[in-house]
Amino acid sequence: MNPVAERTVARNDFFDFTKALFDLKKVFGKPEALADLRVIEFGTLFLGPVTSTFLGEFGAEVIKVELPGAGDTARSLTPWGQFWKNAALSWLSEARNKYHVAIDLHKEKGRDLFLELVHKSDVVVENMRAGTLERKFGIGYRQLREANPGIIYAANSGFGQWGPYTTGRASYDAVAQAVSGLASITGFPGHPPLKAGIWIGDYYGALMSAVSILAAVNYRDRTGKGQFIDFSQSENLIRALDWTWVAHGQTGKDRERYGNRDRAIVPAGVYRCADGFAAISALDDGEFRGLARAMGKPGLSAEERFATVEARLVESHADALHAMLTEWAAGRKVAEVERLGAENGFGAAGVKKAEDHYRSAHLRERGSVWAVDDAIYGDVVEYGPIPKMSGTPGRIKWAGKPVGYDNEKVLAEILGYDYLGIKTLEEEGIIGKWANVMGRKPPEEMLKEE
Amino acid sequence: MQKEESTEKLKWEAWAERHTDPADVRKKDEALEGTIVLDLSQGNFAGLFCSSTLGEFGAKVIRVEPPGGDVARKFSPFGLKVRDTGFAYIAEARNKYHITLNLETEEGRKLLASLARKADFLVETFPADYLDRLGVGYRQLSRENPGLIYIAINTFGLYGEEAAKGRKSSDVVAQALSGLVNITGQPENGGPAEHAVPTKHGNWMAWYSGGGFASFAALSALHFRNRTGKGQLIDVSEAESLMRFLDYNCLWYHALGKNRERVGNFDPAVFPYTYVSTRDGYTFLAGFSDINWFALTSIMGDGELRERFPSIFERLKLDNEKQIFAALEAWAKEFTSDEILAKVQEYDRTVGKGVVATGRVNTPEDTVNEENWWKRKVFKKIIDPYYGEILLQMPPWKMTETPPRVKTVCRPVGADNDYIFTKYLGIGPSELSSLKEEGVL
Repeated sequence: MNPVAERTVARNDFFDFTKALFDLKKVFGKPEALADLRVIEFGTLFLGPVTSTFLGEFGAEVIKVELPGAGDTARSLTPWGQFWKNAALSWLSEARNKYHVAIDLHKEKGRDLFLELVHKSDVVVENMRAGTLERKFGIGYRQLREANPGIIYAANSGFGQWGPYTTGRASYDAVAQAVSGLASITGFPGHPPLKAGIWIGDYYGALMSAVSILAAVNYRDRTGKGQFIDFSQSENLIRALDWTWVAHGQTGKDRERYGNRDRAIVPAGVYRCADGFAAISALDDGEFRGLARAMGKPGLSAEERFATVEARLVESHADALHAMLTEWAAGRKVAEVERLGAENGFGAAGVKKAEDHYRSAHLRERGSVWAVDDAIYGDVVEYGPIPKMSGTPGRIKWAGKPVGYDNEKVLAEILGYDYLGIKTLEEEGIIGKWANVMGRKPPEEMLKEE
Repeated sequence: MQKEESTEKLKWEAWAERHTDPADVRKKDEALEGTIVLDLSQGNFAGLFCSSTLGEFGAKVIRVEPPGGDVARKFSPFGLKVRDTGFAYIAEARNKYHITLNLETEEGRKLLASLARKADFLVETFPADYLDRLGVGYRQLSRENPGLIYIAINTFGLYGEEAAKGRKSSDVVAQALSGLVNITGQPENGGPAEHAVPTKHGNWMAWYSGGGFASFAALSALHFRNRTGKGQLIDVSEAESLMRFLDYNCLWYHALGKNRERVGNFDPAVFPYTYVSTRDGYTFLAGFSDINWFALTSIMGDGELRERFPSIFERLKLDNEKQIFAALEAWAKEFTSDEILAKVQEYDRTVGKGVVATGRVNTPEDTVNEENWWKRKVFKKIIDPYYGEILLQMPPWKMTETPPRVKTVCRPVGADNDYIFTKYLGIGPSELSSLKEEGVL
């Protein structure tokens, strides 16, 4: 066999292997990485709740504790106030895979229930302001570790549990984007700083909070010890600002807004095409040769000012190249730029919207767009679990549910209450269900059936 | 033990500071002590950030670069460097040992396979089938080391119809694919403008998100291995990682046929929740739920505004958002951002009904100059014996038992060849020098 043919065979074989290995149809037949963990979440909006969502996608049993009636404010967060089947769209997506329990923590019996749940759990996640659970409810870390010395407790907040900004300052995602410097370096020079189109401080914060919880879980696997984690979403965004701080230390200069251009990799940016926008990049000299070829100017890569990564980064060279690319892209359609990128070996991709994701066979096959056949909401299509794990794949079991929907199941299964015991707690107002408000209650058809 | 008990009467904040202050981190355990990471990533900060995170938690990270060094060492604003290395790489070289291997040689691949037998994690960012074709991919390495947790980071994945096309990527390509670029930025108002376009994040948000999910998967897999002894293959796309943070976008399209659009600094699902101009820049203001709206309008002294838009749903209509925004800006421009913060804190102390969150839109220099972050030890100036004094951002977690830490800053290309090859493979100086001559290292 000649080398080229051999290469082709090996190639096909590898992708057959991965296709079979990660086949979505096999997901529910495989084990879950975090199946032995129970997580109690007392969170609101996204920074706390999404932390446990990520753990729940990979098998942790997540019990979300809300106050009866109104529940989590997140239940109101839906674009332009548009609810679907009485639920907020973000809720259905982000409260997935959880058990929904509503306990009145203002009452002593409610707090006792909470402690009993923590006693039988591995992880607690909350995102109240620093010290709230201890001061207001008497169920902070110091109390919970008495109920369960091995507990891993993650307190997610804007500014951390101690330090000058801890008192009198609440935080949201966009505060973290502001104080970290992220908003200031996003957007165009001469125009205002930009907030991300999403709650990046919350979601990326939740992810990195989950990472520290998993580090603590692995430590506990070896030693049996639990611990307390203080996690600030602002500090997490500061951590993610790549070369910003090293550059400040070296040059003493402030990082500015560079619009759609990357000033540390040239060329790399978002360009206007004839029918939309596309990202174009060339990370190394090989990729740049490919791009120059696609632009019909193969000689560019031999010119001294563009021949190496270092040469292209020089500001005046970068500006010249940016002007050429701007002009070139403007005359081409997005699909053509993507095709040229694949053929010539440089980075090229259209700016995608939700509809593109929804219709992508690639993302469907990967389960990154995931269809759930949900018992309450029917056909729900949402973003799926992201890291693909061959041995312990993530999965979506159900979408978010109404307030208190799983009270009976959790109290019976985990705490051993019988029917009468649960009814008594309900009558005493220790546990409860949804208020008759959008975002809290089940769909109308279900309400009618009851 | 006595000391431990004596802190129990402290106020919560004081207790938390006592037990999580990074000043004491050296004396505490490390969560991933005893694990080994091989990081083969090239030109990709998702891979580098993943191994940074594992290294901060105590894993021993061995960076494997090609003999000339990773091209990522060249990614730097305007090409600026500290000695031989760009600013971005300096930020993500922390705690790592740096060796070289030429994987295009038979001997280089053998050495990689030998190291992989001793590793717990392997991180790579090559084209999907590259290492497999070289005979040192997951299939081959996991035969020798079934416990290996192999993390492949690739924008188009290891499977799916785009995977085998050999498409190239970068942070900005992944950002575009994620859908985030499409919904960030100012909308076009009355015709095209250079700044009113889909806008990328200033930082490498897709790479950091991809690295974050890679670490998440690596640690989930390690926990599974603790129970079963089994390793596995992990496939992470930076584009999908960032896409996962788009929340309801996909479901909105499915349920109601809507594509989310750019709304500048507004938010379709929560308002007021925006940046407004102040006398000295910009600040964030929010008052979404009814009680917090009460707090915000009380601080503004504008009961009339409160009454005009009494419910969350009234405040979520785009036309109303614009009117509320105008009222906020008219009020805020009378004050500096810090004066607004002082008003919010004063309200919190004296009235305390509802909560207003605020924060100045800092430039990075503003952030570096704020005392809070230094007290929290978010930044640190570290002297590196080769690269000199470096300002670094520290790991974002404070933990009572296993706090993460930064021990070293960066190393030149191949600087740890002697140490690593001797320690793990018993290769001494004479063999090393001949390997170097043969172009293997």
